[in-house]
Amino acid sequence: MNKPPVRTQGLTKVFYDDNRGEVRAVDQVDLTCQKGEILGLLGANGAGKTTTLRMLSTVLQPTAGRAWVMGHEVRDEPERVRGSLGFYSASTALYPKITPRETLRFFARMNRYPSDQVDDRVEELVRRFRIQDYADTRVEKLSSGMKQKVSIARTVVHDPPVLIFDEPTVALDVLNAIELRQFISQLRGEGKAILFSTHIMSEAEQLCDRIAIIHHGEILATGTLDELRETTGLHYLEEIFVRYAQVDDPVQAARENLR
Amino acid sequence: MKWTPPRESVPTLRLTPAVRAIFGLEIRSLLRDVRTVLISVVLPVLLLPALFLASSWMEDQRVEREEARTYRFAVTGADSAFAASLMDQIAAESGEEATDRRFLPVRTDDARAALERALLDLYVETLTPQEWEAVEAADTLNLEMPDQYAGARVFLIRFHSSRTASREGADRLREHLAEVRTARRDSMLVAAGFPVDPEMVAVVEARNVATDQAVQGARLGRFLTLILMGLMLLGASAVATDTLAGEKERGTLTTLLTTAASRTEIITGKLLAIVAVALAIALIQILNLWVYLGLGIIDAGAGFAVTVTPTLALSLFVLFLPVVALTSGVLLLTSAHARSYKEAQLVLPAVILGMSLPTLAPFLPDLSLRSAIMLVPIANVAVGVRDLLIGQVHGPSLLVAWLVTGAAATWVTARCIRALHDEELITGDTSREEFLGGPDLFRKRVIRWFIVLWAVKVLVDFNLPVDDLRVAVLVSVGIVFLAFPLIVIWHFRLDPKKALALRMPRPGVWLGVLLGAPAGLVAANFAFQLMDFVLPVPTELVENFGQVLMPETIPVWQLVLFLALVPGIVEELTFRGVLLHGLRRRFGPVGLALVVGIIFGFFHFQIFRIPATALLGVILTAVTLLSGSIFPAILWHTLNNGLAVYLGARGVEFGGESWWWAVGSVLLLALAFWIIWRSRTPYPDLRSPQPDRDLDDRDPD
Repeated sequence: MNKPPVRTQGLTKVFYDDNRGEVRAVDQVDLTCQKGEILGLLGANGAGKTTTLRMLSTVLQPTAGRAWVMGHEVRDEPERVRGSLGFYSASTALYPKITPRETLRFFARMNRYPSDQVDDRVEELVRRFRIQDYADTRVEKLSSGMKQKVSIARTVVHDPPVLIFDEPTVALDVLNAIELRQFISQLRGEGKAILFSTHIMSEAEQLCDRIAIIHHGEILATGTLDELRETTGLHYLEEIFVRYAQVDDPVQAARENLR
Repeated sequence: MKWTPPRESVPTLRLTPAVRAIFGLEIRSLLRDVRTVLISVVLPVLLLPALFLASSWMEDQRVEREEARTYRFAVTGADSAFAASLMDQIAAESGEEATDRRFLPVRTDDARAALERALLDLYVETLTPQEWEAVEAADTLNLEMPDQYAGARVFLIRFHSSRTASREGADRLREHLAEVRTARRDSMLVAAGFPVDPEMVAVVEARNVATDQAVQGARLGRFLTLILMGLMLLGASAVATDTLAGEKERGTLTTLLTTAASRTEIITGKLLAIVAVALAIALIQILNLWVYLGLGIIDAGAGFAVTVTPTLALSLFVLFLPVVALTSGVLLLTSAHARSYKEAQLVLPAVILGMSLPTLAPFLPDLSLRSAIMLVPIANVAVGVRDLLIGQVHGPSLLVAWLVTGAAATWVTARCIRALHDEELITGDTSREEFLGGPDLFRKRVIRWFIVLWAVKVLVDFNLPVDDLRVAVLVSVGIVFLAFPLIVIWHFRLDPKKALALRMPRPGVWLGVLLGAPAGLVAANFAFQLMDFVLPVPTELVENFGQVLMPETIPVWQLVLFLALVPGIVEELTFRGVLLHGLRRRFGPVGLALVVGIIFGFFHFQIFRIPATALLGVILTAVTLLSGSIFPAILWHTLNNGLAVYLGARGVEFGGESWWWAVGSVLLLALAFWIIWRSRTPYPDLRSPQPDRDLDDRDPD
């Protein structure tokens, strides 16, 4: 019956770093994300957010544990997993030499969208994201705001039930970031299951239905903002985060993290 | 709109919509980039005609200059008056031909200095016998001096070989002087009453039977693959570096890898795009050949005047196909392994050099395709192209060459697909195996290490002075194949007992080996004859090999020691020891026997020995897999070689062409394997028949 679109169980990733040796980037992570829900992954840089999301999108293979997207296991059916999700991050760029229309058509075909419906879907997105004016201009000539719209349209071109946004606002200016957050809210309204990672407290407070605090690869707490407030007796998310992460001196912790 | 993505695609190269989408994207991006189009398409179109034009122009220039050239000379020494009269006679006799009236006397006091300062092209120094002896004594270059005319005067032509006019002038003058001398001697002899009967003399003449087509074909054939490879590398590398390495840089790779397309589809699409570019370049070149040479639009001069028929053009194109595929694959692999665009650009020159090197094979004098070169990808096709242009093709060798290069292309493609699965290449992290080192890393690196071993063995074998067979064997077999497993064991911290399969087999195995080894020898001999039927081996080659291997000066017991016991032990340690150990989880038992056997075969560089040794390798691997121990293989190998050496030294011919020997030996071999099978203690830690994934580990929902 009510099967969560995204679920992980003991998901673990171990890296081997020439300087640091064995690194447990993600350690025994259990998560679920329901339809019409935005799950926020809140953590500092290097906490394991990106690694978790990369395992969910099958770019990386888990060292241990399992993860399912729409009932497909990431190791057993990686192509079905990817076909069920849209992945957006600051590092997912567009091809410079083709136009937005060609971009959308390309990614629809790559995601095995029914070929007779590709053109209709592309036109629908061109209208929805108001990119008509430059839909046939090469991407390399567009402004960053225009590129961002095309990027988001690209993420949802195959109408996936699950969406992953990995620190999407990092490189954006304020207005573009606001626009993006609005759009993510809209997608929640459409019943998508959304994973959203960020290290910005206000963003998590504003946007996420539930927040998972991740630190050194481990999930320390999961819950709605109210639940987290109740458990800790603290009001601001920042205080709550610091309490969970047991960071006495945030500056010192940041320095350690950089190392 | 509800839809479910289809089931995971099988890793085969198919033209799925995603493959077509990637291909379209790559080609579109290429065509929209002016610089890439210039390098990949325009340049290759123009280069070959430009080369022909340049060659034609240079040829014209050369002929023109030669016609206009005069050779300035002087005559010095005691006998200069006589020499001068000879020179006059040369001028007079060739007087009618304007082209030969080119020796121009120049007056000079110091001929040597004038020659150095290029005021003279050459001078004739006339020497008395005494002066000649002095010159000879002072000769520091140790030139070979004829002494049958001791006591005669000598005309020494001094010239400066770094200058064309000087070199050519000296050649021509020597020819003319020789003619004049012959004519004078004959007339002198006749005048002196010497009876010259035409039956007593013979006139020496030389005629070249090679057609112009063959001569020019040899010239063009040597260059063609090199030119083509250069252009393909130039054109296709622009696309290749931009594709995977460039995508890592731009960040489009993550976008691509998070789509539903499989890694195989991504590589297929990208490879097809690079192949399309390389193929277009190859096609352009061959069309160029046909258009300019075939239709005679450009008179390429004496340089490349080859008649190119449509059939020849088509044959060349087909021959180039695997080269195109392999080159594209290697470029894509380079791009996949580079962690950034810059790294790809850094590595590229090395790749270009490495890929161009084998195309130089046809420059090696008299290299026949029917040699080990047949098995070297690209080099074999390059030699085949030369043969094709000369018009002397050995069909079976050419087919093998084509297949070998094609197989290499397939292998490289598979490596590309694996590279996209390799997350360390995507994220730039160190893999667990690399970080920890040790046995797991060896399993990953075993093939690479054996490629290096092969190269080392080639270097050792071809550079070893084979004065004493015993020393040669001790170094090229004993030391190489003993040091290798020891280095591997030390470097990867392997357990010697496991890596070398040092276990005791059950006693029955020994009986099997004692029966099997002689039977195997006869069977392999028969297999050799069977191969000889398909691809005849020159008998002198085999005999020569036999003589090198078994010189009569060495006693038989020493031959057995050096050719049987030493290889029997160390080759087993290397191949049935560390190679089998390293590959044990990569293939099933049958695959293992075949792969280890064939690799073993490839370490025997005389091409006619590969099939028989590969067969022996397969048998030895099977014995090791069944007994779980290296010792039976050592005994078998030693017995096999020992028997062959002993019978060879005694001059015993066995087997012959009788089918009864073949059938009998195969039956005995089967019996031996049945006995070994009965006493088997299989090789441990092999790959399990089914992939080891727990079934209860599925989604519990």
